[in-house]
Amino acid sequence: MMIDQIPTAFLFFAGALVLLALPQGRLRGVLLLLVPILAGWQVWSLPFGNLQPVSFFGFDLELMRVDKLARLFGLVFCLSAFLGNLYAWHVRDTVQQVAALLYAGSAIGAVFAGDLITLFFYWEGTAIGSVFLIWARRTEGAFHTGMRYLIIQIGSGVILLAGVALVYRETGSIAFEKMTLGSLGTWLIFLSFGIKAAFPLLHNWLQDAYPAATVTGSVILSAFTTKLAIYALARGFAGTEILIYIGAVMTIFPLFFSEMENDMRRVLAYSLNNQLGFMVVGIGIGTDMALNGAVSHAFAHILYKALLFMGMGAVLFRTGTIKASELGGLYRTMPLTTILTIVGAVSISAFPFFSGFVTKSLTFAAVGNAHLWVIWGALVFASVGVLSDTGIKIPYYTFFAHDSGMRPKEAPTSMLLAMGLTAALCIAIGVYPAPLYALLPYDVDFTPYTTGHVIGQFQLLMFALLAFAVLKRAGIYPAEERAIYLDTDWSYRWLLPRMIRWIATLTGRIWGGTTGMMHRRVQNIIAGLYHSHGPEGRMASVWPTGSMVIWIAVLLGVTLIVSFFG
Amino acid sequence: MSDPKDNPDTYPALGRMLTWVDKPGNGNRIFRALIVVCALLFVADFVIERHGEFEIEDLPGFFAVYGFVSFTVLILAAKALRGLIKRPEDYYGDKAIDREDYPKAGLDEVRYDD
Repeated sequence: MMIDQIPTAFLFFAGALVLLALPQGRLRGVLLLLVPILAGWQVWSLPFGNLQPVSFFGFDLELMRVDKLARLFGLVFCLSAFLGNLYAWHVRDTVQQVAALLYAGSAIGAVFAGDLITLFFYWEGTAIGSVFLIWARRTEGAFHTGMRYLIIQIGSGVILLAGVALVYRETGSIAFEKMTLGSLGTWLIFLSFGIKAAFPLLHNWLQDAYPAATVTGSVILSAFTTKLAIYALARGFAGTEILIYIGAVMTIFPLFFSEMENDMRRVLAYSLNNQLGFMVVGIGIGTDMALNGAVSHAFAHILYKALLFMGMGAVLFRTGTIKASELGGLYRTMPLTTILTIVGAVSISAFPFFSGFVTKSLTFAAVGNAHLWVIWGALVFASVGVLSDTGIKIPYYTFFAHDSGMRPKEAPTSMLLAMGLTAALCIAIGVYPAPLYALLPYDVDFTPYTTGHVIGQFQLLMFALLAFAVLKRAGIYPAEERAIYLDTDWSYRWLLPRMIRWIATLTGRIWGGTTGMMHRRVQNIIAGLYHSHGPEGRMASVWPTGSMVIWIAVLLGVTLIVSFFG
Repeated sequence: MSDPKDNPDTYPALGRMLTWVDKPGNGNRIFRALIVVCALLFVADFVIERHGEFEIEDLPGFFAVYGFVSFTVLILAAKALRGLIKRPEDYYGDKAIDREDYPKAGLDEVRYDD
């Protein structure tokens, strides 16, 4: 078959070229749906192994390393590209259409990269492809945000390349396999993955950029970059202990921010960060069950997170705002969007019979097997947090709470279709997880639905809901306010410009001071000379005689020297 | 709600059904139902046996208490933190997305009855 000879990523790039040849309209929409279907079918039918070895400047590149781990991520990336493009059916913007294909293609290329150089190229490809989904908003604010995003993403790639070069010098190999932290090279690669995975303190590009993207752009953004980083960590650093602690911190600190935040898409970006934490913990533990947990969680998470971004996108599309303080009561005229968003909210909260439950439970079981009780306690707390800041907050403030008086029309059919399909998948995985379990990298010997487990989970979530109701009725639960909240982006959006301005002012002052002093000194000399030699000066009164005497003295001196040597 | 055109009878059928939640007294009904569900779940712990990975999980009502306390702690902590790091929307200047309206060209703002 012809199609087997083409790396999956190239199908997306070819699709982008064909797209440009087509007229704007439905034909392009169909193409945008066909490419991920074709690619998904290809990934599904490929055999395992290194299928596309290529020689490149003396390096042996592996463009298609297919195994269970890569195939799972390849499949879910194709699936989410399809759902995202269906959601964006109404978009008539070439920039966004091409960017979506290049971005998804790069992410899929990176997943199948068997060596670090190929990984680097695709790693940067995702940065460049995705930034246009932010710039396509076409406002000055989005341009600045996109720039910040691009600098950080490209920076991650440059650090990766530096790490790869060092590792190559050390080991003579560019194969992308499991690594052990130790040398500078591996630490750099780890840092580069950590930036894209939004580790604590490296995270803020995510919450800065995703709310700035277009209505459909943030749906597509939510799927790829961070989950590519999760894949890379699972491939390269499984069982690295430090990841357990990084992940645990990651599950908790974003909760406080998403609890406060007013921009609903930024709330989702924070809760996305929290979800990544669960996966990072699983990768850090590194047992078969923990890795299965991390990877299946990534799969389920891509779907329900996309669903939530779709719901919020539909609200933005119809009302022009996505600020909690301005929204409320939309269930009246957008009931389908309301219900579908709630399916996403319930899934991310890991209610039994929804996808979050059957995947996150694997990670919890793995944490239990490893007897990490502090980590376990932190993750249970974080699970309550997810319910609070996404499960409750997103649907409650948008569709219920106080009536904003807005009566927008229901989301367009294409959006509803995309949301409906995604919601159906969230429920299907939750009710019947066996097919997903079968795709996981290791054999699954786990039953999520035991009476004790289900009751325990329901207790946790329902009592948290009860706490919400009690706090709400007591007037303690905070209302949303029009405001922003400081995070690490403060350091480069507020502090750094001011430091540069301060240093510039200081240098300016010092420069001005010293040059001014020199200037005054020279002027003093001139003034002094003028005073003594100027027309009014003392020397000037005897000028003719004085200078005549000097010149005669000079002449006499010269004559004396000449006659002496002559 | 001051919109004179607003007529609940013309909402989509599903939306009309959902207006049940805003009818007087129904908020209390939902709250009472929630209490009943929670009470049943709590009692269930004494009826069925639960065996988790950790001994503490097997304490009856452990998850109930953990859920309620965690939620409360989170809300109170976030409220306290809000006082420290809240800033006006124009804190980073006017060239930030928090200060801009989303461009109309990318939207389709339609009322439900238009």
